[in-house]
Amino acid sequence: MTRLVPADCLAVIPARDEVTTVGAVVRGVRDALGCVVLVVDDASTDGTPAAARAAGAEVLSLPLGLGAWGASQAGIRYAERNGFAAVITLDADGQHQPDSLMSLFAEHERSAANVVIGTCVERLSAAKRVAWQYLRLLTGLGLRDFTSGLRLYDATAIRQLAGAEASLLDFQDVGVLMLLAKQGLRIVETPTPMCARETGHSRVFASWAVVARYMFNTTILCVSRHDLGQRRGAAAGRGVDG
Amino acid sequence: MLNAQITAAILGVALAGAILYLVRRDHLHGPFAAWWLMVAAATLALGMFPSLVLWLGRVTGISYAPVLPIIIGLSLVLLRLLKLDVDRSRQERQLRRLTQKLAILENELAQLRDASARRPPIDPPPGRDTHRSP
Repeated sequence: MTRLVPADCLAVIPARDEVTTVGAVVRGVRDALGCVVLVVDDASTDGTPAAARAAGAEVLSLPLGLGAWGASQAGIRYAERNGFAAVITLDADGQHQPDSLMSLFAEHERSAANVVIGTCVERLSAAKRVAWQYLRLLTGLGLRDFTSGLRLYDATAIRQLAGAEASLLDFQDVGVLMLLAKQGLRIVETPTPMCARETGHSRVFASWAVVARYMFNTTILCVSRHDLGQRRGAAAGRGVDG
Repeated sequence: MLNAQITAAILGVALAGAILYLVRRDHLHGPFAAWWLMVAAATLALGMFPSLVLWLGRVTGISYAPVLPIIIGLSLVLLRLLKLDVDRSRQERQLRRLTQKLAILENELAQLRDASARRPPIDPPPGRDTHRSP
């Protein structure tokens, strides 16, 4: 079993127009983990990259907006290229508390899983609970929160996610997890406290029309990649009871 | 009044001419031209020899043969559209990866520049004018 040292990891923060919060998030992560913090600026127009640099982060500036997952993948490819031991991703809007980051490393050490998801179960509304139940049935993955942006990926997961196969996904959610589960990687969850978003809003749960489209696209993705046998085995060792 | 065969021939020849012109002007990439030339040839053949349509109708069991060219045409258009979306998906993947690589290399370039700016300048060879503007 390998023990991850937080300082050998790369914290990846995808950010689009988060100038009010990104600086505090970067400082919080640096204080909590002491690792390199990489803000991936998803074609912001409000000075997000400058604020991130001022807070001591490395910055990747995407010339075209690629969405949350495209930005995260850029950070993951950066980590692969520069030989980081693991990647921890979190949102730039300040909804993940820096002191909860260590709990992901603790869970990784306990379970030796390839992916640890920081789940906040309390924040789920009734509608989301229904949606998640549906996704659990559809994907065969026994997880509680599919869209949490707080995740720890080990080197094996980084290699898988840096590849071209992951480049056409649109969100860091079901598609990413299914890809990893298909390769036999182990995914676990650990409960983490989460603040309410200070500003901004979820890109997935913005309006009913968006939710409907998201669920429809995700359903197609799941149905077209269905191979239950492999996935069941991969998701068996989860950290939280489904 | 034009005879249907002549109309079809004009369409086919005009299509072929337009395609060759576009390839010549470098507006149409080779493999696409091949597909469209095939369409032009099919238009020409089916138009010039209506008996081909009747024969095809008998072979495929479509009793109203005149509808056959329309079915063929629509199917080809649908196939072409599907191929277009497949190509677009491939290009989207390439575009995303290029965008990411560009950002990573840009970051690396900036780091290298910073590092070389911090490094003390190499001693100039003696006896030469070493003045440089910053």
